[in-house]
Order: sequence, then C-alpha cells, then structure tokens
Amino acid sequence: MLLSIVIFLPLLGVIAIALLRGLGANVVKWIALGTGLLTFIISISLYTGFDKTLIGFQTNPDFYQNLDWIPGIGASYHIGIDGISLWLVLLTTFLTPICILAAWNSVEKGLSGFMMSLLALETGMLGVFCALDLLLFFVFWEAMLIPMYFLIGIWGGERRIYATIKFVLYTMAGSALMLVGILALYFQNGDSFNLVQLLAAEESFTHANYLFLAFFIAFAIKVPLFPFHTWLPDAHVEAPTVGSVILAGVLLKMGTYGIVRFCLPLFPQAAADATSWVVPLAVIGIIYGALVAMVQPDLKKLVAYSSVSHLGFVVLGLFSQSGTGIQGSVLQMINHGLSTGALFLLVGMIYERRHSRMIVDFGGLAKKMPVFATIFLIVTLSSIGLPGLNGFVGEFKILLGSFVENAFSRWYVVFATSGVILAAVYMLWMYQRVMFGTPDSTNESLPDLNPRELAVLLPILLFIVWIGVYPNTFLEPMKSSVDAVAAEVKVKEEDTTPEVGQLINHEESQDTVVLELETAKLKKTDEEALTK
Amino acid sequence: MPSEITDINWSMLMPQLVIVATLFIVLVFDMFDSISKKMHAWMTIVGSGIALVSTIQMLQAGTDETLFSNMFKVNSYSLFFNIIFLVSTILVALISISYLGRDDKKQGPYYLLILLATLGMMLMAAGNELIIVFLGLELMSLSLYVLASYFRESPASSEAGMKYLLLGAFASAFFLYGIALIYGAAGTTNIPEIISKLTVDNQSTPLTTSSLFLAGMFLLIVGFGFKVAIVPFHQWAPDVYEGAPTTIAAFISAGPKAAGFAAFLTIFIEALPKLPPEATGVIMFLAMLTMTVGNVIAIAQTNIKRMLAYSSIAHAGYVMVGLAAATPDGKSSAMFYLLVYCVMNIGAFGAVIMARTADGENLMISDYAGLGFRKPLLAIFMTTMLVSLAGFPPTAGFIGKLYLFKSAIGAELYLLVIVGALNTAISAFYYLRVVVTMYMREPEEELEFNPYPSTLVIGLTLAAVGIILIGILPSLLSTPA
Repeated sequence: MLLSIVIFLPLLGVIAIALLRGLGANVVKWIALGTGLLTFIISISLYTGFDKTLIGFQTNPDFYQNLDWIPGIGASYHIGIDGISLWLVLLTTFLTPICILAAWNSVEKGLSGFMMSLLALETGMLGVFCALDLLLFFVFWEAMLIPMYFLIGIWGGERRIYATIKFVLYTMAGSALMLVGILALYFQNGDSFNLVQLLAAEESFTHANYLFLAFFIAFAIKVPLFPFHTWLPDAHVEAPTVGSVILAGVLLKMGTYGIVRFCLPLFPQAAADATSWVVPLAVIGIIYGALVAMVQPDLKKLVAYSSVSHLGFVVLGLFSQSGTGIQGSVLQMINHGLSTGALFLLVGMIYERRHSRMIVDFGGLAKKMPVFATIFLIVTLSSIGLPGLNGFVGEFKILLGSFVENAFSRWYVVFATSGVILAAVYMLWMYQRVMFGTPDSTNESLPDLNPRELAVLLPILLFIVWIGVYPNTFLEPMKSSVDAVAAEVKVKEEDTTPEVGQLINHEESQDTVVLELETAKLKKTDEEALTK
Repeated sequence: MPSEITDINWSMLMPQLVIVATLFIVLVFDMFDSISKKMHAWMTIVGSGIALVSTIQMLQAGTDETLFSNMFKVNSYSLFFNIIFLVSTILVALISISYLGRDDKKQGPYYLLILLATLGMMLMAAGNELIIVFLGLELMSLSLYVLASYFRESPASSEAGMKYLLLGAFASAFFLYGIALIYGAAGTTNIPEIISKLTVDNQSTPLTTSSLFLAGMFLLIVGFGFKVAIVPFHQWAPDVYEGAPTTIAAFISAGPKAAGFAAFLTIFIEALPKLPPEATGVIMFLAMLTMTVGNVIAIAQTNIKRMLAYSSIAHAGYVMVGLAAATPDGKSSAMFYLLVYCVMNIGAFGAVIMARTADGENLMISDYAGLGFRKPLLAIFMTTMLVSLAGFPPTAGFIGKLYLFKSAIGAELYLLVIVGALNTAISAFYYLRVVVTMYMREPEEELEFNPYPSTLVIGLTLAAVGIILIGILPSLLSTPA
C-alpha cells in the first residue's frame, strides 16, 4: 500500500488543486508544496523499510502489490521496487517539491495548471519506476508525456511549441516500437504482461535481437543516446526552469532505467551483442556532447549538451557487463539528476534576475552574488567529477568497470576518459566567464540568493556532498539488485578475464575491493583538501 | 423451415421495434404544430435509451438466435453493435439540440431520418444474409444523403449531399454486383452458408479459388470500402464532412462507419482465413494505406472538420488491423475500438459545435487559439477527445489500439502493427497541434463565444467521462468474443 500511496498522492494533489484553485494563487502553491513534501516524507520510509539482503523486488506488502487490472488480457496493477528503482523513486520525490518551491514566483499565467502538470508528472514518473507489469509501465511512460508536453509548451520560451512537439514525437516514435515489442513479449510470456515472470524466464525469447532493439531504441531516444539526442537541447532550452530540472533530473533517467530494467536482464545475449555498437555510440555521445557544450554561448544549452555527455557515461557503464560499471551507472543517474538539476535551477535563478542566459552578458557575478557563486562552484565541480563530490564516485566506477572487466570497452574507455577532461574545460571556462572579471553596469545591482532559493538549493548540496564522501549509503541498498542484473549479462568468455585486474583479483569480491580503493582515494583527497 | 409470422419470436426484435415505434411517434407528433418541436430530440433520446437498455438486457441474458429463416441473427455480435449505434444516436441527438436552434421546420424530419438510419444500421449488423445487409445499407445511406444536404440554403451542404449520393450510389452498385457474383459462384446469399461452403472437412473447396467468387468478394470490399471510407475509396469523406451540418458529420463518421464494419466483419472475419493468403494481403495493404494516407493528409489540413474527416479515415485503417488479424480476438478488438471511436469522434465534433460564435461556426484550427484559458471547459473536452483519438493513455483510445495491435501480433502480422504504431505517432502531431493552438497560442482577435448549451455539456461530459473511465478500467466494457 505504501508504494501506491507514494505514487498516487501527487494525483490527489492535482484533484485538490482542481477543486480549490478558486481560492487564489497562494492556496494552490501551498497545496502543491504540501503534496510534494508529504510524498517525499512518506517515500523516505521506503528507504528505512528497505531490506538490503533481498535479491530482486521487495516482498513486504508495503512495497509490493499485485492486483487484477484488465484480467481479460492478463494485465495487472503490479508494482514493486528493488535497489535500483528505490533510488529513482526517491530522486523523483526529492526533486518535485524542490521544483515546486523553485517555481514559486516565476509562473505568470495558469499557475494552477502548472502545479497540476508538475504533480501529474510526478505520478507518471513514479509509476514508470515502480511498474512491474509491462502494460502498466507503458501506460505511465506514455501518460507522463502529456503533462510534460504542457509544461514545455505553455510555460516555455520562445520556440516552445517546436520544442514540445519535437519532444513528444520523438518519444512517441520510440514508444510505438516498444509497444510492438511489449506485445510480442506478451505472447511469449503465456499471455501475460508480468515482468517478474519474464525476468525469471530461463530460456531466451525468440527474436530476442529484434525485441531488444524495439525496447532499446525507445530508451535510447529518451536517454538520449547519440544520434537520437537532437530533441534534448531544444526541449531543455525552451522548457521553463522547472521543466528542465525534471527533464534532466528524472525523465532522462527513465531511459537509462529502462535499459537496466528491461534491455539487459530480458535479452542478455542480445545486449551483449549490441555492446559492439552501443559502446561506440555512448563514447561518441560523451565526446560530442562535451565538444558542443564547450562552444555554446547560452548557459542553458551548455548544460543541456553536458547532459548528453554525462548520459553517455551512464550508457557506457550499463553496457560494461560488470557489476561495478552498472553500479556506477545507477549512482551516476542520481548524481546527474542532482548536479544537472541544480545547474538548471541556478541558471534559472540568474535568468529571473537578468532575463538573459547568454554567457557574454555576464561577468564578475562572484563579487555581487557571493553565495550564488559559491553554490554554483560546488555544483560545477560536482558536475565535473571532482573527488569528494558525487560525480566522481559514479564516473570512476563506470570507467573502472568498463576498463577492467570488459575487454571490448577497454579502448573506448580511454577515449571516454577525455570526456572528464573536456567537462572540466567547458564547465570551468563557463564559470570563469560568468563569475570573474568586472561586472558591467547591468550586472551591478543583481541581488544575491534569497532564503527561498537557498531552501531550494541546500538540500541538493547536502546530497552532492553526502554521495561524494560516503557513497555506501547509496551503493549498499542497490548492490544485490545490480549484481543480479550484472550476473545476467555477464558473458562467460575467456577473453573477458581482466588483465589489469591482477591487482584486484583476490578472493574477495571485486566490488568490495573497488569500494575500498575508492574510499582510500577519497580519504586521500579529503585529507589533501583538509591540509590545504 | 416454418417462417409464418406467428412463429417469430418478436421479443428478439425488441430494440428494432422500439426504434420503429419512436420513429412513428416522431412522425405523428410532427404533424401537430401545437407541440413543441424540441420534443422530437428528447423522444429520440428516450426511444434510443429504451432500445439501449433492452439491448443490454438481451446481451446480458446471452441471447443467441436466428430469425426469419436464418436471415436475421440476434446474438452478442449484433447486440454489441446495436449498443454502438444507439450510443452514437443518443450522443448525436444531444449535440444536435442546440445546433439546430429554434427553427421548428427543421426538427421533425431531422430526427426521423436519424432514427431511420439507425434502424438501417441495426439491420446491417443483424443481417445473416447479404440481401438483408444490402437493405440495411440502403435504408441507412438514403437517410444519410438527405441528412448531409439538410441545410439546403447552404451550398456546401447541398454539395455534400450530392457528392455523397453519387459516390454512395456507385458503392451500392458495386456491393450489389458483388452479391450477384457471389450468388452465382456459391449458389446462396446466406453468409454462414457461404462460409461453410469454403471448406469441407478442413480442406479448401474449389470455391475459394473460383475467380467468380473472388471477384464478388473483391467487389464487396470495394462497396464496404466506400461506406467506411478506406483508401483509395475515401475521396468523398472530407468534402461530405466539411459540407454537411457538423452534427451530421459526427453522425456519419460514427454509426454508419461502425455499421459498415459490422457487415464487413461478419463476412470477412470468418471467410478470410479460408481464402487464399493474398486476400489477407489485400486487407493488410489496404489497412496500412488507409492509416498512412489518412494521417499524412490530415497533417496538412487547416479546417478542423476536414482534419477530423482524414483522421476518421485513418481510424478505419486501425479497425482494419483487427479485420486483417481475422481471429475472434481481432473481431472483438475491432468491436471495442469501434465503440470507443464513435464516442470520441462524436465528442470531438461536439467540441467543434461548442466553439460556435454568434457569427456561426469556427472551423479553422487557428480560430481555437487561446481557448485553453478563455474557455477552459471547451478546451478540456476537446483535449480529452483528441488525446484519446491520438491513443495516449489513460484514455479509451489507447486501450482500443492496444487490443487491436495485440490481436494482430497474435496473428503474427508484425509489419502491420509496426506501421500502425508509427502511424499513432504521426497522428499525435496533428491532434496535438489543435491542443497547441488552444493552450499555447494567443488569439489574433477576441471572438464572442456563445454560452454553452446545457445539452451539449451533458453529451460531452458523458463522452469524456466514459472515455477516461474505460481508459483506466477497461474491464468495465467487455466485448463479446
């Protein structure tokens, strides 16, 4: 029941707003914020009650429900979470109230519609992460398009209509193929959409390669993997700040989540075969996204292209066929949600003050807005992957897993690593141009962050540091679920035995060693930081 | 077989008889000037409502009989189609009340013809005999020709009626010719008998390859193709929809299309697996062509009625997916889809009627700019219908498409489903464009909209609630297999 409450509470808020919106803007805002916060608070008990020892989905009735939905065709209201979806659920419930608070004063028209869309979106996203029935998953996946379509299309920027239609059509084209795949799986699953049953199936499905493609393309568009990424910069630039935060923070994760939940465990052999082209695409995405981000004159576009680059890392890790890599990817999904979400919020805050996002319009902000500049710096560094902050842990694990445990990916990793350097280039260069130098007359009078904006940003900073310093809080609950996925995809071939792995090929499991390695490094960097 | 009139179980004909009785009541009342003509609409609604209730009762009782020497069937199939027709008729009557206005002269024949057309459709669905199907088809079509040109002072309306009549007459001729050829080949016009002659002991008979028979079947496809507007027999549809009164466009796009499919499915669902595989190929090809052409041309439309016309062509293509599957699953999913389609399409036309101003109708899509915030109720109705037509969850349109695609995948028609699914994405473009216009564009001029007529609001509320409810809990509506 608990999980259902978390999923549908925001929808209750939508209804409440619809009924009470006559009472004025403030009532609407507080209902929205209250719903968002309550959902988050309830969702925390998903973490506290989570049983880390369980492999697969939690069985506690609070976390798992299976009711008949359309008995005629074997579809059920079947929800549950494991260590992977737990974090995405928490990320969603965490970011939504932040978004509501961030949009407090920035919505000029149709405030109630805005808040209703945002909350409806939350239900849709949570449903996607919790559904254990293919049809239910698809329903949430598609239904969530509509509120997002309105968010970009009504409250977006100049070219919002173009952007929103492009976003919807790209996603729909992908999901149309996925629907065909779902239906084909349905008949191979004994006329049932039950995902748990599918995951438990021993032998592989017929036409697994095509089925893999049908799912993968839908997810690759959502991620977005190069070359399906062209909708993303448009959608990000035109979306309102909050729309970008949700888009980067959660929506893109639906794609990577889909890969780790469906593509890898359902079609392990097809996924292993696909590595030969997915990994190059991911690496192209990493470098291409970074290079394009470097030359962007527009702050928001820069962040948008950096997303393409960062998500390339996530896909690289997912196809590393190693527990370490996949774990890094799942962690990196959360990291990217936090860092990029925070970056979009920061860009939005400065846009509200200056009504410009062009880098050339700024300069010397650090003097006028010291608090803003400090927070911006921390988030920038986290996005670059500075040790001690969250981005480092995820990227490190992805690169390590891909390098050590996958002979094919190894040389691609060498190139991918340059993405980390490029990230430092474009982020720090942007930071330098925006923050340092002398402020011109228009930037002279920009006020620093107000308490509401601090309340928006500080919770994110807390987790950025937390994950960076002690990632085990987050890695431990996901470990058994990730290992289960990794065990499925691990192709037992001789040449995948690590060569460099002598170092870590002890009797202990590789993951623990990697963790120790990491924590050792982290401690080192922390000490360095302290001594400085 | 005894077929004296006393042997007939009249209670089996309850829905049809109620419609006939209503028809006479409307006819008689129309003669008295002292009776308010508004009564006609309500009589139509009440009459159809009673017929609907008795249909549902019969359906629940599991009625399965044939009457008139096996010419007329009363089973779950015909009864479910009756539900589709009656629901359409009730919704059309509800949206017509305000549309026809206070002009008394207009009211009587209008409802009379709608009831006659409904009766014709019910005959088509119940026909077990090609001749009965033809009778129903003509009864329906003749009423529709008049209805399409009902606003005779409007040239567009007259043109629509004329076009419909000419092309419809052609279609009827093709259909009749097809019946003649089939009779020549098979020696009967009784549908179950024809189908039983196609196989003997699970072996195909020479009839399945007889060119006379196949030519007859092909002509039937052409005739039905005209009636349900599948490509390449669709050219009449946009002009007729555009010119005819909007309520009648709604009516033509819903019930008659379902009736055409009712007869189409009766014959082809069982015949198709027994015919040479090329026959399924033809149906598949027509389905893909219809979906794609309908959707692609709809993108280019600026007039919302024409856009809905092309969209309704595309939807005929979706229903053909169930037909191509040619399984019980395909049949029941096509029936489900037709019901859902009728409700959402009438709803969409109803929303068009709702957007009337004092100067007349607003038919250009650009006229809908800014309605999202100025006329929220109208915009919500329109959005619900269009989102459902586009097949987004959680609406009935999604469930309908899901069932259709599932049945086709079950029959291993992967290519057809891929084309269908991609078409869904294409269609989203033009449906959402209307939504874009309503919510995301500012109007060029402020239009004075009429206040909402209450009957229209009732009709659209019923349609919208139904669509969302079925979208969330599809098992509320079970189609007979």
